[in-house]
Amino acid sequence: MAHDWQPDFEQLVDEHQSMVFSLAWRMTGDRGLAEEIAQDVFLELDKHLGKLESAAHACFWLRRVAMSRSADALRRRKVRGMDLWVEIDEGHGAKTEERTSPLGNRLEQLLSTLPEPHRAALVLRYQEGLMPEEIAATLASPLATVKSNLQRGLKLLRAKASSHLREYVRVKEQASGL
Amino acid sequence: MDFEPMEDFERDLRQAFERRPASPGLKRKLMEKRRAHKPHRHSHFVLWQRLAASVALAAVLGGAAVWRDAEERRKGEEARRQVLTALRITGHALNQMNAQLAARDRAAQQ
Repeated sequence: MAHDWQPDFEQLVDEHQSMVFSLAWRMTGDRGLAEEIAQDVFLELDKHLGKLESAAHACFWLRRVAMSRSADALRRRKVRGMDLWVEIDEGHGAKTEERTSPLGNRLEQLLSTLPEPHRAALVLRYQEGLMPEEIAATLASPLATVKSNLQRGLKLLRAKASSHLREYVRVKEQASGL
Repeated sequence: MDFEPMEDFERDLRQAFERRPASPGLKRKLMEKRRAHKPHRHSHFVLWQRLAASVALAAVLGGAAVWRDAEERRKGEEARRQVLTALRITGHALNQMNAQLAARDRAAQQ
């Protein structure tokens, strides 16, 4: 089908590098690996530029390939647990600390301990703001599975936060005047 | 220990899960890799270009051969027609001469 949209590779990189990198980083928990994945995703995009029909299609394609490549990398490297997040906190440097609160960092650390399908659903829901239907399309999963992963992931993360993040509760209690 | 409602927890998640900026070097490295991949794509392009040029050259040579063949046939046909015309003229002249000689013979007998 003919389409008028003319993709500009550099412009697409500028617009979406933060999204692709963040997805890969939150899925793998490894900054270096996330950069490699982001590069691979954009090089793949370069090969598929002619097949993309619109800016929205490009964004959808990038999300889908970033998630798929991250899952592949996780399977290859068998990355799991908290250890890598120590590396991230050390490697990300001052810029991260400026942008995110310690609470945010801890929530990200807890996210990394969730099973991969739960993590994928939560990242797409709360980083990208996607609806369950859009997440299902991105992950090529049944909608019911995505909804279940979202619910379970959210409950699990909240439970972990309750038991691990005393400061989280304290801050919330102070904020509510308790 | 219990938390505030789930909606507040979700709001906290949205704040915690904001997109992180990619490192400034990511785009540079990416563009370098892309350039490194280009010669490969370029060689494919050159290959197709050469193939297209070969096909075009073969078409031109084949066309020239066909044209030369047709031209030679046309010239041969023209030469045959000229020979036939010359033979016709010669035959006509001989007939006239024959008729004149016959007329002269008849006049001499009378």
